[in-house]
Amino acid sequence: MITPPHHDTSGLPPVSLVDVSSYLPGEPVGTEYFTQFARSDRMAKNVMFRSPKGRHHVARDETAVDMVERAVAPLIERHGEDAIADVDVLITHTQLPDNPVLGCGPEVARRLGIRPSFAYDVHNGGCAAFVHMMAMARMVLQTTTARTALIAATQNCAGPVFTQTDIRKLAQAPVPGDGCGVGLLRKDDSAPILDIECRTYPEFAGDMDFSTNGERKYWEPGEGQGCVSFTESKVTKVFARGNRLVPEVALAVCDRIGVKGSEIDAFVTNQPNRLFLRNWHDALELPPERHPDTFDACGNLFAAGIPVTLDVENRAGRLANGSLVLMSAFAHAGDFAGAAAVRWGAAR
Amino acid sequence: MVTTSSLPALSDIPEVLPGVLRIENSDKDATTPIIMDMLRSVYPHDQIFGEYCPVQAYIAAPPREVYEYLADTRSLEEWSYSLRGFVETDEPGLWLAHDRLGSETEIFTRTVAHPEAMTVDYHCAWDQGQHLWMIYLLRVVDAQVVFNKPGSVVLWVNCKHPFYDENPYPETAPPKRPVWVGDFWDMFSAGHQLEMDNLKAICEYRAAHGLPIKPDWMK
Repeated sequence: MITPPHHDTSGLPPVSLVDVSSYLPGEPVGTEYFTQFARSDRMAKNVMFRSPKGRHHVARDETAVDMVERAVAPLIERHGEDAIADVDVLITHTQLPDNPVLGCGPEVARRLGIRPSFAYDVHNGGCAAFVHMMAMARMVLQTTTARTALIAATQNCAGPVFTQTDIRKLAQAPVPGDGCGVGLLRKDDSAPILDIECRTYPEFAGDMDFSTNGERKYWEPGEGQGCVSFTESKVTKVFARGNRLVPEVALAVCDRIGVKGSEIDAFVTNQPNRLFLRNWHDALELPPERHPDTFDACGNLFAAGIPVTLDVENRAGRLANGSLVLMSAFAHAGDFAGAAAVRWGAAR
Repeated sequence: MVTTSSLPALSDIPEVLPGVLRIENSDKDATTPIIMDMLRSVYPHDQIFGEYCPVQAYIAAPPREVYEYLADTRSLEEWSYSLRGFVETDEPGLWLAHDRLGSETEIFTRTVAHPEAMTVDYHCAWDQGQHLWMIYLLRVVDAQVVFNKPGSVVLWVNCKHPFYDENPYPETAPPKRPVWVGDFWDMFSAGHQLEMDNLKAICEYRAAHGLPIKPDWMK
């Protein structure tokens, strides 16, 4: 394999992830919601066993912009309205855009009352979008006069997509959950990003489909319920890739900052299922307690998994200032993976 | 065409055997999660190498020639890490060498090779040539068949004979030798890979330079 170039930023000003915050919509939805639609008792049992215990579903009329606004509210409380008003880089990632032809960035800006010089809606970071956006935000902050960035990862397809009448019967339907996580970055060294690795794997692109399970294109009227899917033959390939990719980028960052995997204080990954979680902390030789997750309470939060879990851990007082936090995730069928290490500085 | 089995499979066993998963007693929906659970990012060393030591390599050299080279016990003089000074004993086919991993250590080897299957088994023992219990099982495969490209694939497996844990013939050991071959068992996977890399480098050099894989001095 060709080693991707590492963009050495050691000569550039430090950038910090100064805070994180999150929002989970509505009351938790229990797994019983799904088991009632299972096609057999055996499947229902299997669903109960493998699924998260709960997950949140976005309300029908709640938009990605609403979710970002609610996730940012605690940041405003903690840092003051001025701190958010000063944001000059806004980057958003939305799993299921409310309007498929345009991103939500400008409307988020309007809602927050900010006028960012740089507003990007990015759609290719998948479950690793938080790391992807950290890398982009850091690049802008380091190379322009911009001083503050807000990044927002919104996962909002669990309620709308996975409760459709045909889709909610599927074994994978109970796994996703909705939520939004945001990060505030600043050009200073209060909670420095120590290193970031982002890798694109074109050879794995195109292995994830979005289809209506019929002939219809998703924008055309007619029968069929839209859903993301992997062909059966790709499921184990994607699983094997995920097993490899997340430790691979995580350990690349560890190597460069001179620590062993086992020295990480908190390892926060995306959370597609329990097996990945087990396999990833095994690979870094970490005990499960240093690989916190929100899987049982929130399900697979896709891109929001990392910031929501960071926020939950931080609010519980389990992330001490000065501790080494390593994030790592892979996207889609493995076409992107990213890892970032931060010297934590947002403890509460 | 859909068929049901016409062979009397397992008809001698009246019940479902625990631990036997067949499509009749565990369908694909039930079995797939079991298999997914077995896939890991990393595997404990002991799980991979505990009782067996498999190593394998692709070698860009013709399989028949690689086989013939390996089938000559004296090839170990070249590609093994520490076996040196091969001489044939009075017993035909039994070779004596020194394993320089242990001081003053003699090693006996008899090679059992099957040209049709291209298997090469080295039956060895430290110190004595009566009971050759260290068995190195090698098989050369035509890479055209398995990788759709010219060359060889060499598969090499050792099984952990109980004598690796305890020397069965201590009286034949040289006095005060500080080590026993089994002391190195946990290094076998890495050590054998190193030797496999030697084999690959030697064969590929000869193939690339038009030299016979089995050198003239062995003929």
